Formats: sequence, C-alpha cells, structure tokens
Amino acid sequence: MILQRCFALILLAVCITLAVMAWPYQAAFSYEPVGPRAYPLLMLGLMGLGLLYLAIRPTPIVRKDDEPELDRESLIKIGACVLLLLVFASTFESLGFILSSILIGIPMARLYGGRWLPSVAIISLMSIALYLLFDRTMDVPLPLGLLDVLEN
Amino acid sequence: MDTLGYLGQGFGVALTPYNLVTALCGTLIGTVVGLLPGLGPINGVALLIPIAFALGLPPESALILLAAVYLGCEYGGRISSILLNIPGEASTVMTTLDGYPMARKGLAGVALSLSAWSSFIGAFIATCGMVLFAPLLAKWAIAFGPAEYFVLMVFAIVALGGMAGDRPLKTFIAALIGLFLSAVGIDANSGVYRFTGDSVHLADGIQFVVLVLGLFSISEILLLLEKTHHGHQAVKATGRMLFNFKEAASVFWVNIRCGLLGFFMGVLPGAGATLASAVAYMTEKRLAGASGTFGEGDKRGLAAPETAIGASCCGALVPMLTLGVPGSGTTAVMIGALTLYNITPGPLLFQQQPDIVWGLIASLFIANIMLVILNIPMVRLFTRILAVPNWALVPIIAIITAIGVYAVHATTFDLFLMIAIGIFGYILRKLDFPLSPLLLGFILGGLMEQNLRRALSISNGELHILWASPISMSVWALVALMLVLPLMRIWRKRSAQRRALANV
Repeated sequence: MILQRCFALILLAVCITLAVMAWPYQAAFSYEPVGPRAYPLLMLGLMGLGLLYLAIRPTPIVRKDDEPELDRESLIKIGACVLLLLVFASTFESLGFILSSILIGIPMARLYGGRWLPSVAIISLMSIALYLLFDRTMDVPLPLGLLDVLEN
Repeated sequence: MDTLGYLGQGFGVALTPYNLVTALCGTLIGTVVGLLPGLGPINGVALLIPIAFALGLPPESALILLAAVYLGCEYGGRISSILLNIPGEASTVMTTLDGYPMARKGLAGVALSLSAWSSFIGAFIATCGMVLFAPLLAKWAIAFGPAEYFVLMVFAIVALGGMAGDRPLKTFIAALIGLFLSAVGIDANSGVYRFTGDSVHLADGIQFVVLVLGLFSISEILLLLEKTHHGHQAVKATGRMLFNFKEAASVFWVNIRCGLLGFFMGVLPGAGATLASAVAYMTEKRLAGASGTFGEGDKRGLAAPETAIGASCCGALVPMLTLGVPGSGTTAVMIGALTLYNITPGPLLFQQQPDIVWGLIASLFIANIMLVILNIPMVRLFTRILAVPNWALVPIIAIITAIGVYAVHATTFDLFLMIAIGIFGYILRKLDFPLSPLLLGFILGGLMEQNLRRALSISNGELHILWASPISMSVWALVALMLVLPLMRIWRKRSAQRRALANV
C-alpha cells in the first residue's frame, strides 16, 4: 500500500515535471489549429488524475501463489542483475559482443544458481555460437571490439 | 466471389517453397520461444522483427514469419501449462485447470495432441471468419475519417480497461503511460523536439523494439530471479501420444461453440485470448453441469479454452488488418513490424497490397496445419527443452535481447534505454500494473495524435467534428458503455460484500 502510494506520487511528480517541460512547446509557424503541445498535455493530465486517485485510494495488490515475498536477499540479487546488465551495455562496443557477453553471462548464470564449470562452458560456447549465427549467417552486425585483431 | 479468388492468390503466395520454409521455421522458433519461461509471443515477435529486417526478407515473407511465430508461441505456451502446471502467460491459465490433471493421470500425450487439435479447429473457424468478414469490414472502414479513427482508438484503449476487469484504473494508467511515451521525439507536423532532453538518440522517438524488449524481456529476467529456488518437475509424456476418434468427437461441439466465441472475443479490441479462454471455460463448465468433472481432467475443460485461444489469436488479426487498430499486445507488435516495412495496415491495404493480406491469411491456415503435424512427433523433444535450467537460459535470453535491440540502430544508447525501461516495467509489474496496455497505448498513441490533429484541422479547431457523424456517435456510446462496465462490476462486488456481511 505504502509502496503503491509512493510510486503514484513519484510518477505524479514526473508527470508535472514533464508537463512543465511541455508548456513552451510551440510551433514557430503553423497551419493547423492543434499544436504539438496539446496531445502530450492531455495525456499527462489524464494520467495525473488517475495517479492522484491511486495515491489517495490504492488498490490492493493481488499476489500470485508462486510469487515469494520480496526479501533483502532477492533485492540484492536484483540489484546485482541490473548492475550486470549495465556493465553489459557499457562494454558492448568497447570489448565487443563475445567478450562482454562472456563477462556478464557467467556471473549472471551464477546468480541464477548455476555451478562454475557448466556456467563457464555454456556461456562461452553460446556467446561464440550466437556471434557466428547472427553476425556471420544472419547479417545482423555485432561489434567485435577487442577481438578485432583476430579478424586480420 | 472475389474473396475466393483472392484467397487462391494468397495460397499461391503462401505455398511458394520459400514462404513454406519461412512458415516452418517460424512455427518451430515460435513453439520453442513459447515453451521457454520468460519469453512469450510478444517477445518472440519483437525479437524477430529486427532479424527479419536484417535478413532482407520481402515484406510478405516477413509477415508470414511473424504470424507463424505468433501462432507457434501460443502453441508452445500450452506445453508448459499442461506438463508443468505453469501457465506461460495469462491466457493459458485456464488450460492448466484440466490439462495438468489429465497429464497426471498419464494422459499427457493425449492432452497435448487434443489441445493442439482444439486450437487448430479454433484457428480454422477464426480464419474462415476472417476470410468472410475482413473484406466487408475493410470496405466499410473506408468510410472512416480521422475523427472516426480517433474515436475508434479511444474505444480500443477504453475497452482494455472495461473488458479486462479487475483493475481498470491501473490498466488506464498503463495505457496512458504508453500513449504519452509515443509523443517523445520530433513532432512530424511542426518539427518541435518533444521530451528529448537534447539527446540525439531520442530525436527519432523511443524505438518500439526497445520498449517491448525492455518491458517484457528485461522485467521478466528480473522476475525470474526471485523464483530461482523453485524447482519444477515436468510430467513425463509417455504412453499414447494421439487422441482417438472418440475423444475428438466428444469435444467436437465444444470446439465449434468455443471457436465462434473466441473469434468474436478476438475481434473485439481489448478482450483477447485471456478473456476468451476464461469465458469459454466457464460457459462449458455451466453447460456440462453435473456430468462434467471440470478441474479433475475433463477433456472438455481442456478443449474449451484451447479452442478459444486459437480462435481469438486469429480473430485479433481482423481489426489489425482491416482498421489498422491493434486489439492486443502481440498484434500491436505486428503493427510495429509492418510500419518498419512502410506498410500501413488499414482498409486500403486490401486494395493496394492484396498479396500481402491474403498471403498472410493463407499462411495462417498452413501454419496451423504445420503445428498440428509438428506436435505429434516432436512433443518429446519439446519436453526436453522444458528441462533446460534457468541459469543457462536467463543469461542467453539477456544476450539475445541485447542483440535484438542493438540490431535496430546499432547504438549502445538503446541498450541503456532498454535496461531503464526494463526496471520501470519490473516496478510496474510488482505493483500489479498490466503491461500490454502500455504497449498498445504506445502503438496507438502516434496514430491517435495524428488523427486527432487531422480531424481538428478539417474542422478548423471546432471540437464537434469528433461526434458529428453517426459512426463516431455510436462508437462514443460504446466508449461510455466500456467506462461504465468496470464501475458496475465494482458496485456489484461491493453490494455483494455488504450482503454477505449482513448475513453473518
């Protein structure tokens, strides 16, 4: 409940900020009666109303049976997972696809309960296989990064 | 009959060896994707869009591939719900009710093939319905102007909340977030940059592949993290694999009824497979009365939701193709794919590119037949895929998702944006917001704004054009109905509670 209220209020604040951002949007010259400002403002306004109602009267969250309660441990895990994804995104081009996916894939597999040896083997193999599959056979260009030297 | 001629032409397109192979690959990929936890039809179709584009598939083949993947995913979802009792997504919840008990009784193979058969009949009925009604609807839809389109889209959004039921407010908020997000980027009419924060990467707007994969894949990866300690054991599919004639005959009328029902539910925007399967199951349960053993492995209880899902999936393509207004998350993704190919779905598509439309419809027939045939020999292989542990699966899903996003623009900015959207999606999911309305809003948002502005340009800013024609008037009436429905439901629930309290 409290979480939901906080969320609604934060989103409401974001709405208001965005609406303030949208206020000066004016076309320099225009041939139509409705400018670029009206539609986003309308959406933000409606969203704001909905969020306000939600903040005042939050609806109870229905939990599914197989969904465990969020505890400290899983929050840490989720934080770690997000961190890994961010590392992935930032090393994607510099290290290259193969190396960066090995770099984050192995700790991620560990995070989901894999053992060291199978994780290393499967992730390394899959990274190379996926690179060959997408870059070489399907023409989806992926960065080679550090492995560029192997190319020549 | 023009329609039959066109359909023949469509089969001509779909039966070329190249397109047949495409459809086969699509059904296989779709089934596997549908099987895997964390990947549903929305991710499956979204992941394949950039790849189909990069492969340089011609538009009709790409569309056939995506439709085959869509059907395959729905199909794969049932395998995990019957054998593991884990519904892959909301629509297959009803399948687990009787499918899993059947599998426990040692009838896993029969349950799988019977559900495949039911879904095939459902899809077949719906495809026939599509052949009959789609051209009519398309002809009628030409009369739609921008004002009517705008109202129709309002209806599609409102119907999501009205039909889906238990949390209308959250559905609306989710849809509004999507509608708003579509406004990010350069405004096509005036050239004003909106909400880009002076970033070049956002000037083009948020790429919808990035949005879809962030919302659905990344958030699912995070959700799966909470469930790592849960181990599930699949029921072994042994013994008889194929249903016999008696079993098929005993559910034949169920198939027909639920097929028709599913088709109509599929055509309605917002209703979709989830509602169709639930209504079908409940109706059949009531019709069976005391003779049924629903919940303990009744064949009718398995056939009813499966037929309805199969039918509504194909039915959902009707508004998408004829009006250009998607009714579900997956069809919204397909609209996105079409716009990548510069094809605008809508009534004119039937006149200008009949090859594409009828090729797609014909390939639906073919993909359905392929799925039934594939199912029987390959069930064992598919069940083996279910045994792949999460720790191997999740990193690979993350990596493939990144490839899909990177393939669109080849910038790492999109990867960061996807992660941000994924975290936001995860929070929304934890707070019980449904995500597919957000996606639908995102796809409809751009169209909605354009049509609104066009309509108001025609009338020079007078608002009354929005309810001037009889078509828009009647759609507004439906919108009002959809707004009242959830309120009615809440009110009825409250009074029932009060009565229960009074009785105690």
